[in-house]
Amino acid sequence: MSGARFQNPGWAGNTGEFDLTEAEVRGGVASDGPPPDGGHPSVAPSLPYMLAAKEPDAPLFEGASAERFEKIKSRYPTARAALLPALNLAQELRGFVSPATMDEVAALLGLSSAYVRGVATFYTMYNKRPVGRFLIQVCTNISCNLCGAEDVLAAFLEHAGAELGETSKDGTYTVVEAECLAACGFPTCVQINSRYFEDVGPDDVPEILDRLKGELQGGVPI
Amino acid sequence: MAYPYRHDREIRVISEAFGDTAARTAPGWRAMGGYQGLARALEIGRAATVDEVKASGLRGRGGAGFPTGVKWSFMPQDSGRPHYLLCNADESEPGTFKDREIIRWTPHQLIEGCLIGAHAIGAEHCYIYLRGEFFEATRVLARALEEAYAEGLAGPDVMGSGATIDVTLHVGAGAYICGEETGLMNSLEGRRGEPRIKPPFPAAAGAFGMPTTINNVETLAAVPHILRHGGEWYRQWGTEKSPGTKLFCVSGHVNRPGNYELPLGFPMMDLIDDVCGGMRGGAALKAVIPGGSSVPLLSADDCESCDLCYEGVEAAGSMLGCASVIVMDESADVVKQVRRMADFYAHESCGQCTPCREGTAWASRILRRIEDGRGKEDDLDTLLQISDQMTGTTICVLSDSLAAPVISSIEKFRDDYLALIRRGERVGAA
Repeated sequence: MSGARFQNPGWAGNTGEFDLTEAEVRGGVASDGPPPDGGHPSVAPSLPYMLAAKEPDAPLFEGASAERFEKIKSRYPTARAALLPALNLAQELRGFVSPATMDEVAALLGLSSAYVRGVATFYTMYNKRPVGRFLIQVCTNISCNLCGAEDVLAAFLEHAGAELGETSKDGTYTVVEAECLAACGFPTCVQINSRYFEDVGPDDVPEILDRLKGELQGGVPI
Repeated sequence: MAYPYRHDREIRVISEAFGDTAARTAPGWRAMGGYQGLARALEIGRAATVDEVKASGLRGRGGAGFPTGVKWSFMPQDSGRPHYLLCNADESEPGTFKDREIIRWTPHQLIEGCLIGAHAIGAEHCYIYLRGEFFEATRVLARALEEAYAEGLAGPDVMGSGATIDVTLHVGAGAYICGEETGLMNSLEGRRGEPRIKPPFPAAAGAFGMPTTINNVETLAAVPHILRHGGEWYRQWGTEKSPGTKLFCVSGHVNRPGNYELPLGFPMMDLIDDVCGGMRGGAALKAVIPGGSSVPLLSADDCESCDLCYEGVEAAGSMLGCASVIVMDESADVVKQVRRMADFYAHESCGQCTPCREGTAWASRILRRIEDGRGKEDDLDTLLQISDQMTGTTICVLSDSLAAPVISSIEKFRDDYLALIRRGERVGAA
């Protein structure tokens, strides 16, 4: 295995007895931007990148993303089935899904605006209003809760300077409580944009926020 | 994650390559014997593939434990309509963290399982419905799938057999209920993820109204090994009724939490004391939720003689579910944890059925009141009554899933509830 051994108890994946780097644990995706055309059609419907660089006024499904949208539609027998992937893609481009965005997607798929709003509001991952550069989701469900998740949430709120569910004044962080993120063995699990940070304790929080700030300054599209 | 820890008593069939980055590529997976199971399935044909899985006794790993081969055999033979295989990768049962590990360490294992499953049910298209939060795992799987297409493992003419099997990754958007099979189908079709009334069952009319089979990630991950080595080989582990190995996701107050692959029937106390290195700080065991948050709690006494197989956990008074073992020591506040579960189910209820929509929210409010010291003893009767009305009265089992921990916690930890109620009364009187 190459690179320095990844030892931080936490971050993404405590590698314990294994000799792996953080990038290896993450599958080498940490610094990967989205492939412009979405890749093979079999995988184009997926990958709702949650990026730090958000452009609320980005055009919907033009250029490379139009290509992805066509690939998405090609994988389903009905236009309706492309709705969730299309909303995912819209959120990737704009950072949130406004009622106007829902209407645009509805028109592109030949669905009614009311129908699309009904579907979009069913799912929690669609941000109905803008969020900060980093959306910090702290799991407080049972396994994490038993191991102190509420203290971790409190630490994020304190150090990010945000109220629960709100965005910090500088627009950098939005901190929310999340339901189980399926990483229960290494509490507390925190999802920040597209990445998981596991085994996070209250004392790790300042370091994680410093790292995020550094990445933002470095221009990494995380 | 996983694999920070391993243990000598594990039998690693599907978790063998966890932590080995080579398994993420097709050549790496082939070097470990990968795609031999698919080759054999294509060679022996559809019926024999189903028979092999039937012979293995493999039971669905998503929680219900239905025999996989039998489920496959429900699919029509010559319907003349498209068939679909759905892979349920919407892992979101609190306490469960196995599917993400399978996907991100052994994506080809899952792809191979999907291709074999699709072949077995006569499907030309398999959708893998992934949890939206699984960005990193999805990325790993996407790369592997692109590789599988490039190497002729997926798509037209799978491994030169002439069969067409497409695989598409479909990413959800955050809803626990989409892990319910018919909720998942609605979500895949671009609808709200509301479960459907059965019948019709998916094998008759599932995704897009067509014959459909849906299997969990871990179930499909076991299939390549069964095809490669044979159904009898898989039966060397486990019990008569629960053959094979299973990933146990252990979380909570143990020294070495994680995923451990063990033969079914493994003793619960050996899992906690030996495999997981005992209780954190040597504390006493208080309660265990053996199968994810939807199943009844077990007291420390219940755990003493509990064997971790479908029938063993049932005999102890709970269910194996997806083998997500949540361990609580004496410091755990059972009332608070049940309230947290109630908050979860209230949040995730799709709202179609009144007993669930109203019952989950009402139970959550009562539990919060008790936790805050404003409860009355009558509240426990009300909770039991609500829970009774939430059991077996709705389209899916989400409301039953809250009723189970509420009822069992009141039965087994009544003193915890009473202590909070009495302390509140004393404070109120003062």
